[in-house]
Amino acid sequence: MTHTLHRSGTPESLQDDFPWLMYWSRGINDVDIRRKCLEIIEAAQAVGCENWGDTKAGSVLARPAEEIKRDLTDRSRVRGVFTSKQQVVEFLRILKEKDLGMSVIISGLLEDVLDACRQAGVTPHTINFSLGVWGKKELLPPEDVLEITTMCGHHMISSALVEKLVSDIRRGKTTPRRAALRCARLCPCGVFNHLRAERLFAQMAEKTSPPVKQGT
Amino acid sequence: MATVVLERCTGCNICIPYCPVGAISADERKVSIDRRVCTECGVCYRNPVCPKHAILPGPYETFGDTFKHVLSDPTETVEATGITGRGTEECKTNDVTGRYPRHRVGFTIDMGRPGIGVYLRDVETVARAVVAAGLELEPPHRNPLASIFDNLQDPRLKEGLADVHLLSIIIEGTCRVEDVGAVLKALQEVQHQIDTVFSVGMVLRVDPSGYHPALEELVRHGIPKPMRGKVNVGLGRPLVDA
Repeated sequence: MTHTLHRSGTPESLQDDFPWLMYWSRGINDVDIRRKCLEIIEAAQAVGCENWGDTKAGSVLARPAEEIKRDLTDRSRVRGVFTSKQQVVEFLRILKEKDLGMSVIISGLLEDVLDACRQAGVTPHTINFSLGVWGKKELLPPEDVLEITTMCGHHMISSALVEKLVSDIRRGKTTPRRAALRCARLCPCGVFNHLRAERLFAQMAEKTSPPVKQGT
Repeated sequence: MATVVLERCTGCNICIPYCPVGAISADERKVSIDRRVCTECGVCYRNPVCPKHAILPGPYETFGDTFKHVLSDPTETVEATGITGRGTEECKTNDVTGRYPRHRVGFTIDMGRPGIGVYLRDVETVARAVVAAGLELEPPHRNPLASIFDNLQDPRLKEGLADVHLLSIIIEGTCRVEDVGAVLKALQEVQHQIDTVFSVGMVLRVDPSGYHPALEELVRHGIPKPMRGKVNVGLGRPLVDA
């Protein structure tokens, strides 16, 4: 699963976008998982993580946090998204201290993630480097649409929906925030960055709005 | 393929823009789902999209139906690997599994991504190209891709799977460091032979600064320095190198 790796966007657009994952491996470090998930969620919440979840139990933007925690099991793998490098640093410091023995993965701009590792005193072990999109790229939607849809790497958010929501914002039927939350609820993992999406929706609606005629 | 319960559908068309692959269309006063295109990802029926709950999952009548559903619906678990999503741990547990050792280079070729979808015939085309260039595909207990081929050294689809349409599937494997250039060249060539897109990841067991000599091959092939990555920060225990 590489669903947090290939997010679209410029470095400026991606500077507040750091998905995180907690993993265990069968037969190696698969004991007492539910308790460890809860400890990791606690650490994420302590540093201000606003979206997190579990693919089976859902995301905190779609369900109450207590219900998700109740539904976690010893087979769960929790994940979420941070919106600043400082959150990543603090999260890693806490997890290093807790020493839960779970694999932890941070996606994002490499320069920032590696710097966060240095600040937190953890050592990068393995990196999956994104080499981008190849093939028949003329099939892809516009780049600004991709910036939103690729925040759910399982592609639960369609380009048609993003375009409809932009149109709805322009017509005053919804707001950038509500559009972002609508998309976030389709992503069951909790890695969709709704704060970045809200900003992108606002930019798209502004950019694609027909010019207002003077004197009307 | 997801099924529309015609007695419940009011033809409001709310569901149409939600489908990631555009498989739902208006059909007179109801909607219909194109069975060839639907990936059974579940967006239309798992979320409260239809106010009348007129879209139901399945039926899953063949291996291809089940395979596309499990791979496209992230809430499902791939039985053989125990992993949700596309069913592989890839680098995420490499600190405890050692699946990608320092002397090998990994590739994750995310077929159909982002958001276009992929027919398995295109997966076969790319898999054959990279295997010929030296990539060794991951076995079935690590990646579900292996279950659609009889022979991972000579990957040809099992009968009846060519037209199965998924949201995405990951061709995953490792090669020798000296074969990285051949694999990249194969990808650069095969990208023009398929009707979809793929996203490429190169997995490296890096030094503490995040470096691995295989990154130099990217320069030689005109591939820009990677800006984004997914970093396993080495907190898993027992650490495989310890």
